Amino acid sequence: MKVGFPKGFLYFKYYPFFKNFFNELGAEIITSEDTNKKILDEGVKYCVDEACLPIKLFHGHVASLRDKCDVILIPRIMQIRKREYICPKFCGLPEMILNTLPDVPRAITTPFYAVSASKLYSFAMEAGQEITNSKAAIKRAFRTAIFEQNKFKTGIKNENYSINVALVGHPYNLYDNFINMNLVKKLNNLGVGVITEESINDELIDNEVKKLYKRPFWTFARNSYGFAVHSHKNKLVDGIIYISSFACGIDSVIVELIKDNIGESPFMILKVDEHTGEAGLDTRIEAFVDMLERRVLIENNTSSLG
Amino acid sequence: MKITLPHLGNVYLAAKALFDGLNVDYVIPPLNSNSSLEIGSFYSPEEICLPFKIMIGNYIQAIEQGADTVILTGSCGPCRFGEYCEMQMNLLKKLGHELQFIVIDSPGDIGIKELYNRINKISLSSNLTKYEQIKALFNAVKVMKLIDEIEARAHYLAGYEKIKGECKRVLNSAKRDALNCNNPTAMIKLLTSYKNKINSIEVNTNINPIKIAIIGEIYTIIEPFSNLYIEEKLMEYGVSTKRRLTPSWWVKNTALVPTKLNSLDIKRGAKEYLSHQIGGHARECVGEAVLAYEEGFDGAIQIFPMGCMPEIVSKAILPQVSKDKNFPIMSLVVDEMTGEAGYVTRIEAFVDLLERRRYNALSRC
Repeated sequence: MKVGFPKGFLYFKYYPFFKNFFNELGAEIITSEDTNKKILDEGVKYCVDEACLPIKLFHGHVASLRDKCDVILIPRIMQIRKREYICPKFCGLPEMILNTLPDVPRAITTPFYAVSASKLYSFAMEAGQEITNSKAAIKRAFRTAIFEQNKFKTGIKNENYSINVALVGHPYNLYDNFINMNLVKKLNNLGVGVITEESINDELIDNEVKKLYKRPFWTFARNSYGFAVHSHKNKLVDGIIYISSFACGIDSVIVELIKDNIGESPFMILKVDEHTGEAGLDTRIEAFVDMLERRVLIENNTSSLG
Repeated sequence: MKITLPHLGNVYLAAKALFDGLNVDYVIPPLNSNSSLEIGSFYSPEEICLPFKIMIGNYIQAIEQGADTVILTGSCGPCRFGEYCEMQMNLLKKLGHELQFIVIDSPGDIGIKELYNRINKISLSSNLTKYEQIKALFNAVKVMKLIDEIEARAHYLAGYEKIKGECKRVLNSAKRDALNCNNPTAMIKLLTSYKNKINSIEVNTNINPIKIAIIGEIYTIIEPFSNLYIEEKLMEYGVSTKRRLTPSWWVKNTALVPTKLNSLDIKRGAKEYLSHQIGGHARECVGEAVLAYEEGFDGAIQIFPMGCMPEIVSKAILPQVSKDKNFPIMSLVVDEMTGEAGYVTRIEAFVDLLERRRYNALSRC
């Protein structure tokens, strides 16, 4: 049996789990291609106009897979931390796709709660039933999948650069090089090192988040906020770059919270959508890097007012 | 302490009854208008949704009248509304206003003790006994229920009325007179008499008006200013409308959530299309569309603010509902840039379409 696995959203963070789980069950995993123009066009064609870029791309990935597999995996990722969500659109993603895309094969849409081993296990049991009836096999596959996932680490931490920036945003924007147009590579070529939220300890994020009046109830909002504010306070970086998809509801909140708490630290928001031109993006990055260089190397932190 | 609260449809009447009953000082911000929206969108972040901007306008206009405390409900669902309190606090602080926020959040998240503390802040400013305070609260809920009933009845009967504009006139004078009452019991008495009045409006039972269900995001459908008074417009066209989401529905629903017995009919309606609670009122929106079809409505209009996350999901699902049931549904997106002329044209065209579907055999081709 062929299981289709669209390369969008949290694929970049959790693919070892899903890949190994279905492989162990004897299914063949077919992933879609890396995001490209064709996938984007397909996605824009089918998806509801108001949605954000990653949602549109995910539609495109599913569209490109639909005649290549028997079952398609549309993960309904509800929670990955206790009492926190990702985004309402994640919870309703399977419905969005199944009601707009024609001819989608049978889909696995079991809710995925990664808050505890037992919750995760119940996901595995339900999703595994689509492939095999053997509970023992599912249990074995689940163990391997968890083991592989735990070995897997994401995150970027460049070293030996004189200027460093914190790259903040949702993981699916940071790790999909089509969405961010190879931002990390571009920054590295300009002599700027990049660090992401995975490089600092979870407790440090917690410490920052605790200071807020209201506990953020979105996992990535919590991570982004905690990381950005922590790296500003501890002078881990010279500037912060936030990649945000146009019309992202979560970013509209979190960008404001970050702005309020990082004082005068350089902060650039890169908005991406299906129309973003690469030349404009390059110009903004270069200008930002120029500014950082002057701050760090030339002015040597003296006030520009003399 | 001078309390205020943002506008949401007719909630200001219930709030007035509550604060009058508690004998505390309060300010009802001026009714929503272009100036509150302009103030709000001037200070608010660009990408935030429309309710946030209107609410900021309300606060600033209330501050001008001396308000220093805001009561706001919170939520911890995945919708942005839950983060409003934090952002609005920061924003007003940056503008130099010292406004105290009392956020009534779910006890599951902040703890029952903290919730009690927050409510105590309000009740301590009242010099009445606990019994009288609880009575004031019940009176306020009664006011809310009455005005919601009058409004729902007026919207529905507008299609049947014999004298054109009668429903609208009664509804508007009910709101106006209620605002002039300074005593909760007097307000309840007044609203009860208006309820009788609206029920005894002369109707023509022989006509069968176009019936439209109003569904979508709770703030934009309840607050008439944010949807450019769509219900009033439809009343003028002689269309009967029905909206399930009302402030009193919200109170009942929120109270029943722990028992899972809340809005069973809506859940049943949505089951086929969206079986999970995804935050906001997306499931309610889909469920209401199905229920409106089952109740024999001619169509439904979905309204939501630009960028509303849960409603984008329901907007993606509604075309399928529409196709399966052969039931027209129109989605309207509102924000501070919405132009009235284009908006009205769409509503008129939709009503025309519904009329023609009914009388013209072409629709079955």
